[in-house]
Amino acid sequence: MAMPRRYGGSRFALAILILASVTLISLDARGYAPVDNLKKAGIVIVQPFRSLASVIFDPVGDAWESLTNGDELERENALLRSQLDELLDYRIANEGAVNDLAALRTQLDLQGLGGHQTVVSEVTAGSVSNFDPYILEINKGTQSGIREGMPVISTGGLIGRIENPGLRDARVRLITDPTVNIGVLAIGTKEIGILSGGGVGQPMRVIDGIPISAPVEVGSILVTSGLDRSPYPEGFAIGSVVEVIPDEVNLEKELLVEPTGEMNNLDFVTVVLYLPPEMN
Amino acid sequence: MLAVATIKSAIALLVLLVLQLELFSSLRFFGVMPELLLGAAIAAGWYGGPLGGAIVGFSGGLFYDLYLATPMGLNALTYAIVGYLLGQIATFLSDEAEWIIRITISIAAVTVGLLLFVTFGELIAEPNLYNKNFGKVLVVASLYTGLLMAPIHYMMAWVFGVARFPTSGFDR
Repeated sequence: MAMPRRYGGSRFALAILILASVTLISLDARGYAPVDNLKKAGIVIVQPFRSLASVIFDPVGDAWESLTNGDELERENALLRSQLDELLDYRIANEGAVNDLAALRTQLDLQGLGGHQTVVSEVTAGSVSNFDPYILEINKGTQSGIREGMPVISTGGLIGRIENPGLRDARVRLITDPTVNIGVLAIGTKEIGILSGGGVGQPMRVIDGIPISAPVEVGSILVTSGLDRSPYPEGFAIGSVVEVIPDEVNLEKELLVEPTGEMNNLDFVTVVLYLPPEMN
Repeated sequence: MLAVATIKSAIALLVLLVLQLELFSSLRFFGVMPELLLGAAIAAGWYGGPLGGAIVGFSGGLFYDLYLATPMGLNALTYAIVGYLLGQIATFLSDEAEWIIRITISIAAVTVGLLLFVTFGELIAEPNLYNKNFGKVLVVASLYTGLLMAPIHYMMAWVFGVARFPTSGFDR
């Protein structure tokens, strides 16, 4: 058996390191600016190495994705084909649908994005942690006018909000995060509820605020309410109702909602340069 | 000597960080990626003892903290403790312990590290750490990291200037 080696002072060093870690955690949790600046400086220093590695490893990642998601892509393809057939049938059966769609777009104010300026940004990475899958990294930051809390959209609607923007990069916190709550309005009604993320692979939920008598059904579209101190402008599509669960005790409806915004395999997203009135 | 080890460890941690962020964040098994920097803390404890493990663990954790939404220092705290513990355990093991023993202990240490990380996160009320995927993350991340521990062991042996490796296990 080997003789135990002795490392003098290691306990003292560990105590110092634990103390330093706890201090950092405490300062960062309070939003202490120098810690935030330290983070940003560290990211800037490592960025050239990441960019170089990205050039080398991106093809590997793409190949891996096509390998592991091949079956899923085939299934998705088949599903899309069947949906396309259904849509073509629907179009023939209902010529007025085009007018309805135009009216809906006007109502949602999707074409002009409410007159707000936007910045298109490339998605540089998904989550880099096993424990927080609700993050995207984008390659635009404060230099492009992006600020904390700004809404981020993709094809179909709102997908998240900006978090911790750096000079040339930022994080997007996705709306599927269970800690995210958004005030929503059901199109065609005046019912406002609070939508919460449901987690990975789970639908989002509206638990409070929709009376049981409200005309909100499966297929109803929910948009941002823009009311009170909402960080989002009104009228951005968030999701469509996929299930309605009546709560006879509280006389409310619980809604299960699928996001309308595309969140998978994103290459680009659009940041809406909107700040709530009290922050302007 | 200390300066050389510091430079070597900085290079090793930078390489592992970049691999973690740019390569292994895409190469996921069941949606789970390996924990390379936690693996580095473990291997550093093995070759550098409790002190080396704690310092490399703290530095690697701090590097990783730059990119996570969790508070700065949470990974540093966890990795420093795991590196220190592995250093203590390694003092009772032979330098020529077989690879299978090294890898098994490393996998167990990754599991302990992830449990510690989530426990500390819960203590400071950090959301999203403990969720229904936790069991899957624990098992897959530990095994996946275990698969990659051999090169990480070599890397940390280089950092601490350890030339002796077991001649059994993989070489048999």
